Amino acid sequence: MSYPGNTAAARGLALCHVCHRLDPAELHECSRCGSALHLRKADSLQRALALLFTAVILYIPANVLPIMTTLQLGKGEPSTILGGVVLLIKLGSYPIAGVIFIASVMVPIAKLIALFYLVWNGYRSEPASPAQCTQIYRLTELIGKWSMVDVFVVAILVALIHLTGLLVILPGPAAVAFAGVVVSTMLAANSFDTRLIWDRIKDNND
Amino acid sequence: MSGSQHITHTACEECDLLIDVPEIQEGERALCPRCGHTLTQRPRQGFERALAFAIAGCVFFVIALAYPFLTLSSGGIENVMTLPEASIAIYREQDPILAVIVFVCIIALPIALLATVIALVTPLVLQRRAQWLPRLGKLMFKLNEWAMVEVFVIGTIVSLVKIAKLAKVELGLSFLAYILFAVCLTAAISGLDRMQVWKEIEAASA
Repeated sequence: MSYPGNTAAARGLALCHVCHRLDPAELHECSRCGSALHLRKADSLQRALALLFTAVILYIPANVLPIMTTLQLGKGEPSTILGGVVLLIKLGSYPIAGVIFIASVMVPIAKLIALFYLVWNGYRSEPASPAQCTQIYRLTELIGKWSMVDVFVVAILVALIHLTGLLVILPGPAAVAFAGVVVSTMLAANSFDTRLIWDRIKDNND
Repeated sequence: MSGSQHITHTACEECDLLIDVPEIQEGERALCPRCGHTLTQRPRQGFERALAFAIAGCVFFVIALAYPFLTLSSGGIENVMTLPEASIAIYREQDPILAVIVFVCIIALPIALLATVIALVTPLVLQRRAQWLPRLGKLMFKLNEWAMVEVFVIGTIVSLVKIAKLAKVELGLSFLAYILFAVCLTAAISGLDRMQVWKEIEAASA
């Protein structure tokens, strides 16, 4: 693999991903903080892809199974993520329905599509504009954790309603699956190396 | 502008462009000329500010743990929920994985992050030398990726709306303290720039 002439990698220099010190890659360990040195994140695209497929698989139970069950006077009423949004709309809480719809439905799908697009561009020999890809990457990093909102809502409702007796809320299997989706897409974003896309820029000096 | 001895040879984290970053003044930031990534910035009195907010955050966190988070009253029954119960109740409902995820994201990890900030920044502000600073620096930047305090605050507000139709819910002192804790944590972290922190760590641990 050859790198464009104006990059650190072309001179055999690797930026420590923990402390951002620039060291010769052949040291293998950062001379300041001792972290492992790599010119590019190890197996970046394969790892990101594996984690993305994990997220896609977990996304199915996360949406099909109930995220929580409301037991009222012994009668159970399971509700899915989308069901929860519909309920909020029926209750007239449009802003909150919007928050949950964006955080639990739109953000995970947008993140999956964005990361698949980035990994695909990492594999292509002539990727889309690196600047644009970097922007997309920054956006996925920024919105990464916000999908956890629904999981926390379940946690609070379960704890709060727990002892009242008349009404019981139980966590459903979708909650843990959904947390898995969020965690694996965050890990996938962490493993993706944006520099792989910049590496494909043709170097004028070559 | 300072002399050549103050120039830091580095590479952009996102596009690997080799860059010589000059010493920057408080309030300034250095951007990558190719992809626009923030290479480094020096918030005004960043370290002192980080320490002050971290200590304040610890105080708020103790209050958040000790006092009622939410109180629910329905038909004469009152249920007081504390912050740890968001996780404990789920554990009791046979969902240990979800319980651990919630506990880690909203309690364990944020307080570990604050403690690390204090342990790291105190010697730097007091200009004391310590061999263990690089290890703390690595820990701090790793923990920061996974703290979700602000997401939990939004989750609480969503829960309130969801229950509002079923029962009367009162916000406890702990809820206010947790919001302030989240604000302090964010403010503390925003005062700490990776390049500046590691420069100081290097000087204090050599």
